Amino acid sequence: MSGQLLRLYIAGRTAAASRAIANLEAIVAGLAAEGQQIAIEVIDILERPQLAEDERILATPVVIKKLPPPVRRVVGDLSEHDKVLVGLDLKEA
Amino acid sequence: MSAETHREGATIEHRPDVAPTGIAGLDRILRGGVPAGRPTLLRGAAGTGKTVIALTFLCHGIAAGEPGVLVTFDESPEALLAHAEGFGFPARRHVAEGRLRILDMRPDRNEVQVGETIELTVILARIAHALEGLAATRLVIDAIDGIEATFASYPSLRSELARVFDWIRERRVTCLITTGERGEFSTRYGLEDYVADCVIALRQEVTNRVMTRVLRVVKRRGGAHETNEYPFLLDAGGLFLVPVTGAELTAKVSDRRLSTGIPGLDAMLGGDGPYRGSTVLLSGQAGTGKTSLACSLVRAACEAGLAVLYISFEESIDELTRNQRVLGLDLARYRRDGHEAAGPEDHQDDHRDDHPKDGLVLRPVRAVELGLEEHLMRVMRLIGEYRPDLVVLDPISSLAGRGHDPAAKETLLRLLHLLKAEGVTLIATELLSDDGGGVSHLDVSSMIDVWIRLRRHENDGEINRLITVVKARGLPISNQVKEFRISGAGLAIEEPYLGTGGIAYGTARLARAAEDEAELEQLDQELERARHARDQLTEVTAAAARLARIEEEAKGAELDRRIAQIEQRLAQIARARAAVSRGRE
Repeated sequence: MSGQLLRLYIAGRTAAASRAIANLEAIVAGLAAEGQQIAIEVIDILERPQLAEDERILATPVVIKKLPPPVRRVVGDLSEHDKVLVGLDLKEA
Repeated sequence: MSAETHREGATIEHRPDVAPTGIAGLDRILRGGVPAGRPTLLRGAAGTGKTVIALTFLCHGIAAGEPGVLVTFDESPEALLAHAEGFGFPARRHVAEGRLRILDMRPDRNEVQVGETIELTVILARIAHALEGLAATRLVIDAIDGIEATFASYPSLRSELARVFDWIRERRVTCLITTGERGEFSTRYGLEDYVADCVIALRQEVTNRVMTRVLRVVKRRGGAHETNEYPFLLDAGGLFLVPVTGAELTAKVSDRRLSTGIPGLDAMLGGDGPYRGSTVLLSGQAGTGKTSLACSLVRAACEAGLAVLYISFEESIDELTRNQRVLGLDLARYRRDGHEAAGPEDHQDDHRDDHPKDGLVLRPVRAVELGLEEHLMRVMRLIGEYRPDLVVLDPISSLAGRGHDPAAKETLLRLLHLLKAEGVTLIATELLSDDGGGVSHLDVSSMIDVWIRLRRHENDGEINRLITVVKARGLPISNQVKEFRISGAGLAIEEPYLGTGGIAYGTARLARAAEDEAELEQLDQELERARHARDQLTEVTAAAARLARIEEEAKGAELDRRIAQIEQRLAQIARARAAVSRGRE
């Protein structure tokens, strides 16, 4: 289960975006400590709006896990780490 | 709706500050269209027609060279495309050609929400990206209230939505935002008061189990608009709004006449039939021949090269055609619409003008369950679609005869005004009740130019049809009640019997005439006898005169002879006397 990628979509470097990035990094760091390697890609849709279109994103920050299926999406500033892990199917509920 | 679109294009002046919606009646109410470069709010409960208006607005703009972006928070893009195609807009082609883009902003129900804060900047980024990509000038945001339910848990939603609306306002794009009435969304987010320059409210009400949809322009910043509630029609033919309110009578007055196809009736109307463009009402009880008379007018109009729209409310087209054929009138000959299926047909703008302008179009409108207003609007739309010179409404009483619905009467008046204003001749039949004493219940008589009344005359075990011209504006009319005959040879007006016994029709007329015949014969004989006697008398007199003359002559000759004898005697005496005196000397 290595090589997983989480894409975090933000709309500009807002406070909420920064919080989400920090939260996601903390979550991934926690998983790394358990031996799960997960990469994060941060995409600013202000720079690449077509990606927002393709992913049908309505609100940011949002983190999307494409693989393995099914697709998981978690929206918000990701402040509750457990909920994020469950939402992304990285941890049993 | 396409026909009106064309028509309105000509009459509504193009102003740079308005963007026509493409719905004729709405554009008229809005004095040209929604504010260009500004947001307009369209609110109404589910099913009131918001999306249809929005799609029409977009596709009309695209057809006029303004690319458009459609943002949907509710229906799927596929459903919207199918919807638009259903109304005759080539939406898929628009998408393929890059003139229409649909942004799917339906919320993802599986999305997990975590935290206190969300930002809706991405909505703006996506819209801006699409607008720029297409160089679009029209934007529709459909069912914006859908977003609230999705992100209801976020305290930041309110300020984020306000930001979205501010952005739209600043964007200077002609925008139509639709929203439901749920929880007064539009008021709570200041859409109504602050964001939108124009607010249109749609409403539907059910009275007597019949649904009526109404539209009202609530607000229009920096511009005039009509303030009434307008009923409108929404079906497969699109949205149709009665565009006429307080219309002035600006009828194109015509001096040309239209033959009724019945010489006797033309004669009753001053010789040539009614004026073109007039409103003709044919009133009568059941079976008096209203439809047949109307069909005769239709034939005459078709023969004169006019375009005729016949709207039949009770008889089906097949029945009508058959029944008239029996009377020697082949309506099918004049039809230009062939036998295509009834109902709204394609509404593609491009095809409309391919129709030949003259000929007959027969249309049944039979949905009894419709409200009267909806009924009338269907009629108006058909008229807008076919632009006839002459319209037959058979019978008009099915539109307003019951008279319980003031709105229906108003709409009927609007219809009559509309036809007048367009210079269209109207032939309306009116079914009178048998016990009504021939009184019209339409209560629109002031709008009628020519009123012909048909009635039954029952006498001596038979029914005859009588025809009277009650009024005919501007025409010298016959004030006589005449007989109206319907037979396999067609329609004819018969002079009634006018004799010593009063006026008589039908067989009674014939009977009276027969009585007269006998009397005449008798008189003739009497005359003959008297003449004969007279002649004889003359002869007797002459003979007597001859006899008298002969006797006179005989008597005269006798007297002459006597005179001569006496003169001879006297002469003899004189001679004798002379001889005696000579002897004495």
